[in-house]
Amino acid sequence: MKTKVLLVDDEEEFIETLAQRLELRDLSVTTVYSGESAIAMAEKIDFDVIILDIMMPEITGIDALKEIKKIKPLTPVLLLTGEATVENAIQGMKLGAFDFLMKPTDTELLIEKIAQANTLKQQHDDRIRQAEIENILKTRGW
Amino acid sequence: MENPNDKPAFLGRITASVTHDIQNVLAIIKETSGLMEDFFLMQKSGGLEDIEERLDKCIKTIKKQAYRGVNLTSGLNGFAHTADSSQAAINIFETLKRMIYIAERLFKQKGVDVSILECENHCSIITDPVFFQLIAFSCIECFIDNFETKAPITLEIQSSDNRMAIKFLYNDNMLTYEDYNQKIAQSPQWKKIINLCEQIRMTAEIAAEYPAILIFFK
Repeated sequence: MKTKVLLVDDEEEFIETLAQRLELRDLSVTTVYSGESAIAMAEKIDFDVIILDIMMPEITGIDALKEIKKIKPLTPVLLLTGEATVENAIQGMKLGAFDFLMKPTDTELLIEKIAQANTLKQQHDDRIRQAEIENILKTRGW
Repeated sequence: MENPNDKPAFLGRITASVTHDIQNVLAIIKETSGLMEDFFLMQKSGGLEDIEERLDKCIKTIKKQAYRGVNLTSGLNGFAHTADSSQAAINIFETLKRMIYIAERLFKQKGVDVSILECENHCSIITDPVFFQLIAFSCIECFIDNFETKAPITLEIQSSDNRMAIKFLYNDNMLTYEDYNQKIAQSPQWKKIINLCEQIRMTAEIAAEYPAILIFFK
């Protein structure tokens, strides 16, 4: 099954181009252009990885990250930043972001980070499934 | 009293915002050229039929972003040169138009559109160009930071035979005089605007009939 990625940035041409490149590398990509849409989309669909630009109008990437972590705490979020200073990215890491990358990104590095984040998500999901199965077996006395 | 940090802080803030925009321009160009590379590789392995159409779209994107980058760097360069002298003749309309263009990202971050009305009479003044732009920026920020409705802000240069002014209009018809007068007068930006105006022989007033700040040249 393809890795489901949500790509969020107010620079439409940037994410539409990046989305095409990621799709050519066999990822399934959904794009939205605001923090608000990202939160709504994360609520609706269970993504494997979310890539979030930090500097967006109104609801910033950091604010969107806080909300997404409330809705889907186990979904890894990769932050993108166009700033040379990393204060915002560090704040994001403290709020539970998986990692951050500087813009312009190195595509191969981004793919690598997506793969790492996806592996982590699958491990979490497996652990939860395993715990649920054990719980069912225990409560039914099997 | 002039705060020695006002000018560098303002120059730094605008520069950081524009360079962030330039990073975005470069990111788009980089991804688009990377996509062209992807298409070429696919073409070589025989898997792409409509390569001309795809490449044409990529070239248009790169051209558009190159123009955007040129406009941003030209704007930033012009803005940076306004710090060359503390007294210089400036074209009020052109200076404000450029400042609005390069600070657009900062305004959009707060969800507000800022524009300047075309002005037939291109007035010039001799002033401290950085202080002048800082006052204009502070007037815009005064509305952005103190009013939640995020209405568009329009700048207008008004000139008569003996007086010249800049009007910063906050386009929210629902605000009463009591609402906006109190909010502006009590804001920290207003004190700063008054103080900055005194430095360069200008005066600031809160308009009586509509939500606006008026800056007059003495």
